[in-house]
Amino acid sequence: MSVLSTDADREREEEASLLERLRAGDERSFEQLVMLHGGAMLAVIRRMLGHDADSQDCLQDAFTSAFKALGSFQGESRLGTWLHRIAVNAALMKIRSRKRRPERPIEDLLPRYQADGHRETPVPQWAVAQDVTAIDEDTRQVVRHCIAELPETFRVVLMLRDIEECSTEETSRLLEISVANVKTRLHRARQALRELLDRHLGEP
Amino acid sequence: MSEQVTGLELTCQEVHQYLMAYLERELPPREQAIIDAHLAICVDCVNYLATYQQTVSMARSACANAPVAPIPADLVQAIVAARNVK
Repeated sequence: MSVLSTDADREREEEASLLERLRAGDERSFEQLVMLHGGAMLAVIRRMLGHDADSQDCLQDAFTSAFKALGSFQGESRLGTWLHRIAVNAALMKIRSRKRRPERPIEDLLPRYQADGHRETPVPQWAVAQDVTAIDEDTRQVVRHCIAELPETFRVVLMLRDIEECSTEETSRLLEISVANVKTRLHRARQALRELLDRHLGEP
Repeated sequence: MSEQVTGLELTCQEVHQYLMAYLERELPPREQAIIDAHLAICVDCVNYLATYQQTVSMARSACANAPVAPIPADLVQAIVAARNVK
């Protein structure tokens, strides 16, 4: 317990020192900030943009915004949390600014039903632990791969609502779509992801 | 006295369609009760509900625990250099 709090205290002190040097314009500290947080930010951006070539440009945009806003960062959250939000916003800006690409229709990924409303195929249980903390990295990788397969329009809503834990209203505001539309897209995204995971995790 | 429901008022397809609203408890009481009753008699829908909830928790866990690779040195330099240009 005391060891943990000491580590946390030391991290905060290091962060405060880094912030001080950043605000003083110390060149090395900018490089340190990018090396320290760039990898996590790039991972978030790639998940939002679907691993495309825009990701590195987007990371650069995110850091440009962060460097400009450093003066107004009050330290009310951890630096990593603040940069994470900036990365998410940069990815959303990129999505809004780029031309709409043709997407795989979500209907291709949704469950199929017979005329009487029953599923065409029975719904299997999954061969994974109920406790998500017990799920291995191979399975997590499958999940991330399946998320990347979702059409962007739906993946972004899932990312904001289920991963970033934005509220429905906040997601509606960020994506400039109605609350009802957020709910519809989220449910379809979850259903599509469930179908994709079924192929990997469904017991025969 | 509420009207008796059997669970057969909705098909599996309809239950799946309303599942998110059901889990968020956004449906009117009668619809909530119909889905409760449906789940009591339909193994497929019980499995669907369980795997739907697993999908959400696994997605969160998979992203929260994603390995983070360091970014390439030339990208670090490009980002820092861009700061000096602007």
